[in-house]
Order: sequence, then C-alpha cells, then structure tokens
Amino acid sequence: MLFWLILFLPLFGAVLNGLVLRRASKTVSHVVGSAALVGAFICALLTYLDFMRSGGHAQVIPGMEWIEAGSFKAPFNYILDRLSGMMLLIITGIGSLIHIYAGGYMHEEKNTYRFFAYLNLFVFMMLQLVMGDNLLVMFIGWEGVGLCSYLLIGYWYESDDNAAAGMKAFLVNRIGDIGFLLGIFLTFQTFHTVSFSQLKELILTAGASLNGEQIHAIGWITLALFVGACGKSAQLPLYVWLPDAMAGPTPVSALIHAATMVTAGVYMMTRVNFLFYLAPTTQMIVASVGAATALFAATIALVQYDIKKVLAYSTVSQLGYMVLGCGLGAYTAGVFHLFTHACFKALLFLGAGSVITAMHHKQDMREMGGLRKYMPVTHLVMLIGVLAIIGFPGFSGFFSKDEILWKAWTAGDRFHILWGMGTIAAVCTAFYMVRLLMLTFYGPNRSDHHTREHLHETSVVMWGPLVVLALLSFGGGYLNVPHVIPFPEHGLFEEYLAPVLAIPAQAAEHWEHLHAEHEAGEEWAVMAVSVLGMLLASFSAILLYGRGFSPLSTALATRFQGIHRTLSNKYYVDEFYASAVVLPLKDMSYFLWKIVDVAIIDGIVNGVSQACMLVSGLTSFRMSGSLHRHGMVMLVGILCMLTVLLF
Amino acid sequence: MISINHYLALATVMFLCGTLGVLFRRNLLLVLMSVELMLNAVNLVFVAGSRLVNNLDGQVMVFFIITVAACEAGVGLAMVIALYRRYGTVETSFLRMLRG
Repeated sequence: MLFWLILFLPLFGAVLNGLVLRRASKTVSHVVGSAALVGAFICALLTYLDFMRSGGHAQVIPGMEWIEAGSFKAPFNYILDRLSGMMLLIITGIGSLIHIYAGGYMHEEKNTYRFFAYLNLFVFMMLQLVMGDNLLVMFIGWEGVGLCSYLLIGYWYESDDNAAAGMKAFLVNRIGDIGFLLGIFLTFQTFHTVSFSQLKELILTAGASLNGEQIHAIGWITLALFVGACGKSAQLPLYVWLPDAMAGPTPVSALIHAATMVTAGVYMMTRVNFLFYLAPTTQMIVASVGAATALFAATIALVQYDIKKVLAYSTVSQLGYMVLGCGLGAYTAGVFHLFTHACFKALLFLGAGSVITAMHHKQDMREMGGLRKYMPVTHLVMLIGVLAIIGFPGFSGFFSKDEILWKAWTAGDRFHILWGMGTIAAVCTAFYMVRLLMLTFYGPNRSDHHTREHLHETSVVMWGPLVVLALLSFGGGYLNVPHVIPFPEHGLFEEYLAPVLAIPAQAAEHWEHLHAEHEAGEEWAVMAVSVLGMLLASFSAILLYGRGFSPLSTALATRFQGIHRTLSNKYYVDEFYASAVVLPLKDMSYFLWKIVDVAIIDGIVNGVSQACMLVSGLTSFRMSGSLHRHGMVMLVGILCMLTVLLF
Repeated sequence: MISINHYLALATVMFLCGTLGVLFRRNLLLVLMSVELMLNAVNLVFVAGSRLVNNLDGQVMVFFIITVAACEAGVGLAMVIALYRRYGTVETSFLRMLRG
C-alpha cells in the first residue's frame, strides 16, 4: 500500500495542479506540489526502512498486466532492491527539497500550476524508470522524463531560444532512445524476456552454458543500451543538449539536469550490470567515453562566464566520472558518485538559483562578485558544495571521485591513461569551481547600482533546503570510506550494494582485479596526486580570480587567445553538428517537401483532378443548375425507363 | 360503394399534384411539402392494396415510409434553414450551384 502511494502521490499532485487547480494561487500550487513529494518521501522512507529490516533482499511487486503476446510479457511489475530503494530516497528526498525551494524561486511568476504539475509528473515518471522491473516499463519512464524535461526546459516558451533548447534536448535524446530500443529488441530476441529479475536469474544460472552467439549478442545489446545511456546521461557525442537545457528554471536544472534524470543512464547500466560484465569490449568503450567526457566538459567549463553554464558542463563532466566507474566494472563507485553528486550538484544549482534571484535573473559572473557580504548563508552552503565537488578531503566528492580514480588506476596498465584523464579533469574541476566561487562571492561587486541596491539574502523557503543539502554534501561521503583511511566503518556502501552486482561465472576471471589487494602506499600515492592537483588548481584560481579578474588572468587569456577562444566556443561542437548533421538534414527535408511532395506527389494528384475538370467542362455546358430543370430531366428519364421496362 | 379504383384514382391525383409541385414551385418549403404529398399518395396505394388482398404487409410498409418521411423532412428542413442562413433566401431560382 505504502509503495503504491510513493508512485501515485506525485501523479496525483500533477493531476490536481495541472487539471483541477488551474485558477488557484501560487501558494496553493506550491503547497500541493511539495506536499505530494514530501508525502511520497515519507512513504518511501517507511517502505525503505521496512525493506532493509527484512534483510534487503530484492523483491518484485506485481502490478497489473500490460502487454501479453505469445511468449512476450511485459507487465507493470516493480522491483524493490537495494539499488532502486536508494534511488527512491534520492528522487523523493532531493525532489522534496527542490520542490520546496522552487516555491521561493518561482515567486515572481504569475501562476505556477503548470510548473508544479510538470515537476510532479517528472517525479512520477522518474519513479517508473527506476522501479520498473522490465525494460519496457523503464522505457516508459525513460520517455516520460524526457517529455517532462522538454516541457520544463521550454517552460518560459515565449522566448524562442528556450523553446529551441527544449526541442534540442528532445531530439538529441531521440538518437539515444533508438539505441535503447534496439537494445530492448535484441534482449528479447536473445533471451525471450525483458524482465530484469528474470534476466539476472537466467544469466547467472545459465553459467557457462551461454553459447558464443549469445555472448556476441550481449556485446551488441550492451553497446545499444550504452548509446541510450549516452543520450540520457549526456556523454560524448550526445552531450550537447545538456548545456542548452539550462534555459529552464533553475530548480528544474537542479532536479532533472543534475540530480535525477541525467543519472538514468548510469542507473540503467548498473541495473543490467551482469550483462555489461559479460561484454569487456563494451565496458572498455564505456570507460573511454566516460573519461573523455569528464575531461572534455571540464576543459570547456574553465572559461565559461554564465554561472549555470559552468555548472552544466561540470554536470556533464561528473556524469563522465560515473560512466567511467561503470565502464571499469566498479559500479559501486559509479553509483556512489551518483549519490554524492545528486546532493552537491543539487546544492550548487539551487545556490546558483538563489544568486540569480538576488541578481534579478542575471547569470553572468562578470556582473557578480562580493556577494558574500549580502548573502552569507548562500555563500556558506555554496562553499560546502564547492569543497564537495572538487574533492576536498573530508567532503563527499573526495570519497566518491577518488574511489573511481583509484579503480581506474588499479584496472590495469591500459587504463592508466583513463586515470590520467580523470585526474586532469579533477584538476580542471577544482579550478573552475573555485573560479566560480571567487567570481560570485569574493572580490569587488561588479553589478550596476540598481541591482546592488536590491541584493539581499533569500527567504527561508529557499535557504532551508540548501542547508539540508549542504549537510548531505558534507556527510554523504562517510558512507563509503576507503580502507586505508582510519575510520570506524569502511566501505559501508560497497557492502550495501554488493547483492545488486553480479559477475557471471564465465567473466569472473576478467574482473578479478576488482577485488585484488593493493598496497596501502599505492592508494595513498594516487590520492595524494589528485589532492595535490586539486589544491594547486584551487590556489591558482584564488590567485587569478580572488579579487575579481586579476591582470594576470586577462593576460593569460590574451596570451593563449587561440585556446581561450576554442574553449569559449565549446570546441565548436555545436557549429560542427549544425553544418554536418542539421544543415544537410534541413536541405534534404526541404528537397523532400518542395520537390518530392509539392512538385511530384501533389502535382500528380492535382494534375489528375484538373484533367477531370477539363474533360467534364467539355460536356457540362448543358447543366443550367436550375433545380426544376434537373427534376424535369429526372422525371422524363424515369418515365422512359419505366416505358421500356413495362412495355 | 367505394372500390379500389377510387383509391387508385385519388392516389394518382395526389401523386401528380406532388410531382407538379416539386417541378414548378419556387419555394423550397413548398417543394418539401410536395415531396410529402407524393409519399402519402404511395402510402394510400399501399393501404388500399393491403385491404384488397387482406394482408397486413402493406400497412407495415406504410409505417416504415412514415418514419423515413419524418427523417427526410427533418433533414430537408435543416438544409432549408442552413440555406436560408447562408443565402438569405429559399427561392429555388437563386440556388444554381449545380451549374456546370
């Protein structure tokens, strides 16, 4: 019962806000939207505690029948295990905080029922995605969150840019979805089931009896699923939609484009980890793409001026780390980073949202500076968020990111380059995050007189959730402390997630290194490298931007003008896509429209009808159009026919 | 004594009146009424025939014709009203859209 409440409270909230309470005030829609989520969170917490008390064994909760065709079955069954249970708490917990915050953020809007309806619907769809026991239910959620993401990115649809950004997100995700769908089809063709629990049982009991053909198919399945993950989790080369998605309201960026939806790809790969373990080649590709994305996005973030763009590229980069973790077979590390990232990135986005509110919706960091004085609470929580993301020892990012880097280092000689990329990305992360903090909160205030007059701390509705998230960002890391660090409990999270992960017997040899023992000194050394790099990068960022734009920073920008311009323009990827994909597609569509459709197809149809008109015009001159003449002709005709028939 | 021939003669006269009305009346409403007159002439023949051969089939048929006539009148009147709204007249001499 409680379980169904978790699922349907958000849906109920969405229906109530979107259909019933359209004329209600902002407060009402805010309260309804948040109450639905807080209620769902309480139910989720109770369900979760109950689940863990009973031992934390995976259970399938039967819903209703859906598709049944021959041997193909896809019922609405839900899976409650340690992975989906954890995701439940993240989605409803962080979701509640963001819903509460959103009431403050959307304060200046005329009405917000649409906003909260979409947000609630998003949470419902996300829950479908993580709770579904088969690939098809997951796919419903997968598409549903994509839809809500589109609706919310284009929430301020009066501006063409926002609408275009929403459409871009939708279309780019479509490319990934093709991969995901192909993966589902292949899975059914190979194993005759799409249910996760059945697949897992099948793979683990089939053991060595999987034949070469099936192993080959698994390679393609995992690759296709990874293409889907690339779209949703914004990996190279499909990441381009995420930075543009910042056109939406900031709470949306925090909930959808940082904490939950974009991690769906990582979640999905972890869900079918037993398949990925059987496909070492795919795993290698996954790891390489992850590391490349982490580094690529981090370098772009170095020179961005829009506060949300920096965070967006940082999200892409952090997602790269998670994917790298998955690719290395270290799903625990990947999912743990998912958890800590959800906390600190939501915090950073919401903090940025507070700054943007205070700055009257200006997002350019060149106009900020010195906000520490005006917004002490926001400054403090942002500081914690930044320390968490750059991996400052003791904060959550330190434990999760270093775990992934350590796994990359120990995965074998071939992976040292991935470790190198990850570490350089970590250094870049430290630089751009400290730069963001410095440009926003330190140095002189660069805003105009009018904005400065109105600078003030936000209301408690907004900074309250931030404080909770800050506590999580600080403390979350202690759930998975590496063994070398003296601490009462080690690797709690690794132990917790172990039942979800399953390395099939025939792949066990390949993944032996995951459990290999290493010298403590080696781990300390790897840790020291990333911490030193982080500290160096932070200090140089403080040096360059601590008092606004120092002369040195401008000098560097002019000295390395070429690099700076390339990075500012995001490596010209968008331009490249526009000329290589979008323009040819447009030209082709124009050709199909103007030549094939209008000229050829319509030409034939219209030509035939015009020919008919012409021919009938030759004979129709006798038709006067008078009803009586028509009637008379008809009568005479009938009489003639009767005469012939009767006599 | 009224024989079947009387009924048939009356029905013929009614049918001819109706036909002439359809062909020469200029007002659509009256055209419709003439159509009804033709239908009722047929009804009369049916009833008379049914009485002559002592079989109820003809009378049953009349009920069907009345039903169809009612529908036809409904649709026809609706069209007349629509025409009036559109053109402001129900004079048939204005309605020459069928001209080739």
